[in-house]
Amino acid sequence: MAEVTEEWQPKIVMFCCNWCSYGGADSAGMGRFQQPPTVRVIRVMCSGRMDPVFILNAFLEGADGVIFSGCHIGDCHYVNGNYKATVKYKFLKAMVNELGLEDERLKLDWISASEGERYAEVVTEFTEQIKKVGPSPLKPEGVI
Amino acid sequence: MEVGDCYIGWATDEDIRTRGASGGLVTAMLAAALEKGLVEAVVVLKKLGEFEAVPVVTSDPEEVKAAAGSMHSVPIVLSRYLDYGTKVALPAKPCDARSTIEQAKRGQVDIDTTYIVGLNCGGTMHPAVTRDMLDVMYKLDPADIEGEEIDKGKLIFETKDGKEHAIKIDELEEEGYGRRESCQYCDVNIPTMADIACGNWGVIGDLAGKGTFVEINTEKGIEILKNAIDAGAVEITPADDKGKAIRAKVDGAMMNVAAAANKKYLSPIEGSHLDYYMNALSDCINCGACKTVCPVCACGEGAKCTDFSSASDTYKMSLFHLVRFVHLMDSCIGCGQCTDVCPVDIPLTHIYQRFAVPMQEEFEYKPGMDMTTPPFFGVDLIEEGH
Ligand SMILES: Cc1cc2nc3c(=O)[nH]c(=O)nc-3n(C[C@H](O)[C@H](O)[C@H](O)COP(=O)(O)OP(=O)(O)OC[C@H]3O[C@@H](n4cnc5c(N)ncnc54)[C@H](O)[C@@H]3O)c2cc1C
Ligand code: FES
Repeated sequence: MAEVTEEWQPKIVMFCCNWCSYGGADSAGMGRFQQPPTVRVIRVMCSGRMDPVFILNAFLEGADGVIFSGCHIGDCHYVNGNYKATVKYKFLKAMVNELGLEDERLKLDWISASEGERYAEVVTEFTEQIKKVGPSPLKPEGVI
Repeated sequence: MEVGDCYIGWATDEDIRTRGASGGLVTAMLAAALEKGLVEAVVVLKKLGEFEAVPVVTSDPEEVKAAAGSMHSVPIVLSRYLDYGTKVALPAKPCDARSTIEQAKRGQVDIDTTYIVGLNCGGTMHPAVTRDMLDVMYKLDPADIEGEEIDKGKLIFETKDGKEHAIKIDELEEEGYGRRESCQYCDVNIPTMADIACGNWGVIGDLAGKGTFVEINTEKGIEILKNAIDAGAVEITPADDKGKAIRAKVDGAMMNVAAAANKKYLSPIEGSHLDYYMNALSDCINCGACKTVCPVCACGEGAKCTDFSSASDTYKMSLFHLVRFVHLMDSCIGCGQCTDVCPVDIPLTHIYQRFAVPMQEEFEYKPGMDMTTPPFFGVDLIEEGH
């Protein structure tokens, strides 16, 4: 029997807006772009819907990293939802830094519905980044 | 009378004048506002003892008059007791005034019908700590105290036998007594955001101790002062340049003291931030008292910090506090009340300030100073280059 090498796989929660980034995830699948199976996607209608509480809760529930993603600036289907997301991100990022969580664990990115390849790239890069920093110190005991 | 004018004023009523902290101007002005129908209600502190008072919302001028005098050991912020739409006046330390303005931004207070009568403030003390301090530092029984004042950097207690007992505030603070930590680093002493700012700094000569220095900040400030003059309740005389200069000088000196305290208490955490916060918050018993007293929180019952958080899934850190860290980043004014009420002694104000101050500095936004939209509400930050 072949030896099973057990490399630690991070758990990443990714929030995608319905109109762009979720489509991007679909395109990545349809285009068969390779990506690590580390991401759990949660669909929200718009990146502006992202509430800091979602992200903080993801960390407390055991996420090693969180990405939130929406349409490119100017393309939001609700006019300025991604501007709002940017503001929230700015605050969250400062908060997470002061809290002492590694800066690498939180990321905001814009991915359109046609950017399947980019979606796969973002996921791959982020996974590598999280592997470097290791399991989150906020992960509850017993959660792998 | 114009915005920017400065006067020295006092109550015409002899009783109010003697019982007031510095001439009873504030009390007379608040009572006259009720009597003449300028406002429907006034919020004051009803005195229960030397170190105890409760906020009351009253329409009875007598109750307002009974509340004359400054209570330095009652760090209660009054802005939570304002009702939207009621014409109301309140005496306001800078934290009372700033939180009133933050509440107005969140639709909880109608700033147009709220008269903020500002009080200069050099700081307040925690009542329980004050009792302890009387015992340890002054060797006095708290029950014997009849009055207290601050003069030339000394905290003076008067006992029932008529004797005065003074100790330097610096000395008290070195021993961990004196003003609350948040007051020590608060750098807003003169409530410029109130409609009118009143205090004893800058009252010199014969009037010292018998008059209040007032600076008019808004049209509403003119209205409430004029109302009291027309009612015959107060008299004023223009403040002279010397008084103005002294007031500005003391304010500047106090700001320097605050800056030093800020360095002392809020210097960056050494070692792991996460360990520090986990350790500090691990004592939290989820009682919610800090949120209940928070004068800038406008969430009410169904709030994110409480609805999404339960003790059962607060594995490593309290979600309640994590949400509030973000939530208060652009609104925490450092009033100190969350620390005051925490039953397990978590230094909450200190912690909230650690998150809030750097962000407020970055956005050059100081909450409660004026009606500027908080950065968290603004979607035009990107265009502004942030
Ligand atoms: C805690 C505190 C610290 C102060 N520090 C300074 C200072 O450093 N420099 C300075 O120039 N002036 C300071 N003042 C203001 C000064 O003591 C007088 O209040 C002011 O000069 C007005 O005097 P007055 O006689 O007109 O007020 P009064 O007629 O005596 O009316 C005072 C009003 O203030 C209310 N009040 C009393 N205690 C509090 C409290 N803790 N919180 C909210 N409202 C309260 C009372 O209900 C009353 O309505 C301070 C006031 C307070 C309350
Ligand atoms: S709809 Fe995609 S960001 Fe708003």
